[in-house]
Amino acid sequence: MLLKNTWNEFIKILSKPRSYLGVGALTLLIGIIIFAMKADGKSIISFVTASFEQTLTFNGHILNGYLIAFIILQMLIVHVPLLVALVTGDLIAGEAAMGTIRMLATKPISRTNIVLSKFIAGAAYTLFIIIWMGFLALFVSTALFGTGDVIVLNSDGLVILPEADVLWRFGAGFCVAFLSLLTVSSLSICLSAFAENSIGPIVATMSVIILFTIIGSLDVTVFDSIKPYLFTTHMVSWRSFFEDPVPWSTIRQSVIILVAHNVVLVAIAIVRFNKKDITS
Amino acid sequence: MKKILPFLFLFALPLFSNAETADDILTKVLTKLNSVKDYKVSATIKANIPMIKILPNEATIYFKQKDKFKVESKGITILPKQGFTDINNFLAKKNYIAVINDTITTGGVKTYLMSVIPNSAGGEMILAKLWIDPERSVIMKSQITTKSNGTVTTSYTYGDQVKYGLPSKMVFEIDIKKFKLPKSVASDINKSSAEKKKKIGNKGTITITLTDYQVNKGLNDSIFK
Repeated sequence: MLLKNTWNEFIKILSKPRSYLGVGALTLLIGIIIFAMKADGKSIISFVTASFEQTLTFNGHILNGYLIAFIILQMLIVHVPLLVALVTGDLIAGEAAMGTIRMLATKPISRTNIVLSKFIAGAAYTLFIIIWMGFLALFVSTALFGTGDVIVLNSDGLVILPEADVLWRFGAGFCVAFLSLLTVSSLSICLSAFAENSIGPIVATMSVIILFTIIGSLDVTVFDSIKPYLFTTHMVSWRSFFEDPVPWSTIRQSVIILVAHNVVLVAIAIVRFNKKDITS
Repeated sequence: MKKILPFLFLFALPLFSNAETADDILTKVLTKLNSVKDYKVSATIKANIPMIKILPNEATIYFKQKDKFKVESKGITILPKQGFTDINNFLAKKNYIAVINDTITTGGVKTYLMSVIPNSAGGEMILAKLWIDPERSVIMKSQITTKSNGTVTTSYTYGDQVKYGLPSKMVFEIDIKKFKLPKSVASDINKSSAEKKKKIGNKGTITITLTDYQVNKGLNDSIFK
């Protein structure tokens, strides 16, 4: 029954135009970034290497598909949560607004399973978004720009990763990015269980992300103790796979915190939905 | 004693006249370098720079007189901006004053330490210190200070191409004090302020091992495009 209901939920997602809005926006954004890189990529790259180029010269195929995929992932991982929340924030609250939630609750399936099926359907949509992003970022970029070593700029300096050592990092990075977006999906589903219209959970999800991101980026010691527990701190942990050596303990910690967030948020949504007085 | 002194002076005169001047030594070095019309060489580049993590890489270096220079590699390679052809170009212009400062033993080789100062202030070069092996007429070490790139010290080791003045190994010591990361990147939210303030060194080295020289075989200009 859970799987059947999940399938129904997924069909509901597919039938809504807003679900394609995210995919369309993502395609357009990635298309624009690839076009910008094709037109003026070298000057964009010089932003990374400028301070080093006074003394050093960088030779080789720097502007390649892998680097562009990395740039795309870095630029869009901040914006994709909105596209995810746009769909997942509507999953429970949208039904409440349309008045279909009462009918849904009369079906021979527990309320817990209703929430779980919505969570799984939301996860499937999030996975599709990530796969689509990965396809456009990695395959289209490499088809247009070829492959090569990747220059990554982080707070410690430049890391130049050899071409042969890059694909697994992208694979692992996309998995952690999926877990980050799944947390956004769980948050919006959780908030959706408290709302009667879909706008509220979407805006609330984005507000939480913005608030946590600002707290995380403020270099104030008073926030140092809470920063490790904010899910937004770990949303960029996919980037850790592009460090050398890979900080496995940090990644493990991020994965644990993101999974914990998912479990807690879905649990809250289940409890709330089970106690919800459905009157619409 | 008064009678002996003029004789001593007469005997010493030929010794003084045979002593090479800084210009003579540099001319010999330049002649040797100019005997190379072109070359192609395989290079292994190993960079040890505090703010850059890169694995050793293979490359092919092409050079053609006067100043055509190209590095070809499969992956990304890092090379110092100055050091390969700068000295040759600077010395070839003959617009400098050279002075022998001292005699120093570098790597077991007796060298003349020379200061080479450009005559005009318009160029990029401010000062070049060269440690020259007078026996083989090759540069053993150089320290070049330029207006925009700071100071780069290079040590040279020679192998079977010493007759052309071409090294088999070059070690560049680079000043990285000028390296600055963009602020947006430096404010990595995953790193605490204590982690960001980690002290790093001021010097980095790039070691280039050069093998399989093909000298004066004739290189097509199209390679450098």
